[in-house]
Amino acid sequence: MSETTARAIRFLLLAFLGVWLFFTLFPFYFQLITSLKPVAEINRMIPTFWPEVLVPGNYAGIFADPGSLKALQDSLIVALANTALSLFLGTLAGYALARYLKGPVGENLAFWILSNRMFPPVAVLIPMFFLFDNTPWGTDSYFSLIVLYLVFNLPLATWLMMVFFRDAPVELEEAAYVDGWKPFQAFFRVTLPLVLPGMISVAMLCFIFAWNEYLFANLLTGTNVKTFPVHIPTFTQGSQTLWNLVMAFSLVAMLPPVIMFVLLRRYMVRGLSLGVVKG
Amino acid sequence: MALLEIRGLCKAFDHVVLDRLDLDVAAGEFFVVVGPSGIGKTTLLRCVAGLETPQAGTIRVRGEDISALPPYRRNVALTFESYALYPHLTVFENIASPLRARRRPAEEIRRKVGEVARLLRIEHILDHRPGEISGGQKQRTALGRTLVRDPDVFLLDEPISHLDAKIRHELREQFHHLEELRRTATLYVTHDYAEALSLGDRIGVMGPGGLVQIGTPEEVFERPNSLFVARHLGQPTINLLPAELRREGDRTSLRLEGTDLRLTLTGAQVAALSNRAGGRVVLGVRPHHIALADGALTGEEGAVLEARVELYEALGAKGVLLADLGSRKLNVLTAPEARFRPGETVRLLFDRDAFLFFCPERGDNLIG
Repeated sequence: MSETTARAIRFLLLAFLGVWLFFTLFPFYFQLITSLKPVAEINRMIPTFWPEVLVPGNYAGIFADPGSLKALQDSLIVALANTALSLFLGTLAGYALARYLKGPVGENLAFWILSNRMFPPVAVLIPMFFLFDNTPWGTDSYFSLIVLYLVFNLPLATWLMMVFFRDAPVELEEAAYVDGWKPFQAFFRVTLPLVLPGMISVAMLCFIFAWNEYLFANLLTGTNVKTFPVHIPTFTQGSQTLWNLVMAFSLVAMLPPVIMFVLLRRYMVRGLSLGVVKG
Repeated sequence: MALLEIRGLCKAFDHVVLDRLDLDVAAGEFFVVVGPSGIGKTTLLRCVAGLETPQAGTIRVRGEDISALPPYRRNVALTFESYALYPHLTVFENIASPLRARRRPAEEIRRKVGEVARLLRIEHILDHRPGEISGGQKQRTALGRTLVRDPDVFLLDEPISHLDAKIRHELREQFHHLEELRRTATLYVTHDYAEALSLGDRIGVMGPGGLVQIGTPEEVFERPNSLFVARHLGQPTINLLPAELRREGDRTSLRLEGTDLRLTLTGAQVAALSNRAGGRVVLGVRPHHIALADGALTGEEGAVLEARVELYEALGAKGVLLADLGSRKLNVLTAPEARFRPGETVRLLFDRDAFLFFCPERGDNLIG
């Protein structure tokens, strides 16, 4: 290949990357500037791409609003509790599937568990409402969302943990038994550390789902418990939508998963490639 | 009383691996199980360690039946062929693992791991993780994890076969001197016959279903009880020649099948084979029992055959000659300084006292 063609290909690749970056990042930019604009500027026919007046007060408003803070707190409670529960149950179930249920029974059971993730959620929306209405805590409770999200997160967590456990060599556990460790000790001492990167990836996926879920939260909860996706529509008052507050609130709501991702990024990449490269 | 007593051990997966295996290993004995790969040597060790549940049979250690105990209640140490080192723990912690499982005091752990590391010369890598050390060091670490304990039985699964020749030799030497191994019973598995002959107080050759022959290295090597054992031990492999016993007058000779070549037998051999006169046997001759006859040789009538050199390999300490007898080829071990050209004619002198005779159908040794 000649010098010029190589350079041309390089240029094209960079140009493509540039376009792609613009495509993905521009919405965030627009969200950021909208969150800093006054309402009047937002409602103009021709949008401004650089705010003429900066109103940082929109953010102060979010943090001063008890409803918004409560929504973030509720989301955090629901997402963290559900993630912890999904991870705990998924890890145990995944281990059982990987080690003790080999053969057709285990294969089919594992696939059935995963297939629970495949139906359209709307299909069970109404039944779920009545189901949780009959619990002592009712629909509008932390309990209902924390347990309901297990329907989606547990199959995923179980399946992924099963894959990670399958990749963790059985021989290491056997070596631990021969060393004198009892099964539970061997599990915590040897096997769990091996799948830890995988667990962190699973935790991220579960957290993001529970954090962002809107459909069920909107139908089941809204008064006692109100997660942030359900809170956002309350910024529409009458015919007026306070876009600057919506954008400011959404940006704040984006922070927990983003911070988690940045902090745990290293483990996550390792976890996702665990099945590819044997350690 | 044997320290390790195995009776009627049966283990099958989708096919039978161990069929009513009996084995006794005495205290202080180094017992080597040798056999082709995939024959069930590792399965035997795993049964003793408790990692496999046999379908039948008992395993006793110091008279106590441990067959029903889980691995963590058996005082048995096992090295895995794949080392099975914990990747997230340092070499120190890997070796310390059995002691930690027994909740030994920290001071004792430090001391014992230090001793073992010194013995295996891995003191300088105690802070490293298994991913950062070489294959030989991994092997020593795995060995250290078993030696640090005070087990009743040592089970060593191909502990040195994946190492390069130099380290292998060094470790083989170390095995001879390891006091720890001389105090308890050791069951050592290898596919390398030289390792088995060198290390074993006794060796057991494993064939399909279990141990085909058990004995001292000399017994098993010099008097194999079957074709399987004869074929498995020795490099170059034993020469096996189908032959026919011929009686002419008062002389009994052996005609090599597919040739007109004849070898006369000793009186004792004739007597032992008398019931097979006229029958077919397989003659087994180890390559070092065939010498090159020089021209002046006399009085060895019936023990010399002429052959054509097909291939000669000078291997430094010895030479291997592939000789063509017509329809049969023979491996012959020669002096290192000998040189042959392909096509050359040589006279081969057979050491008749070392002849082995096997039944062509059942493969068992007809005299031994």
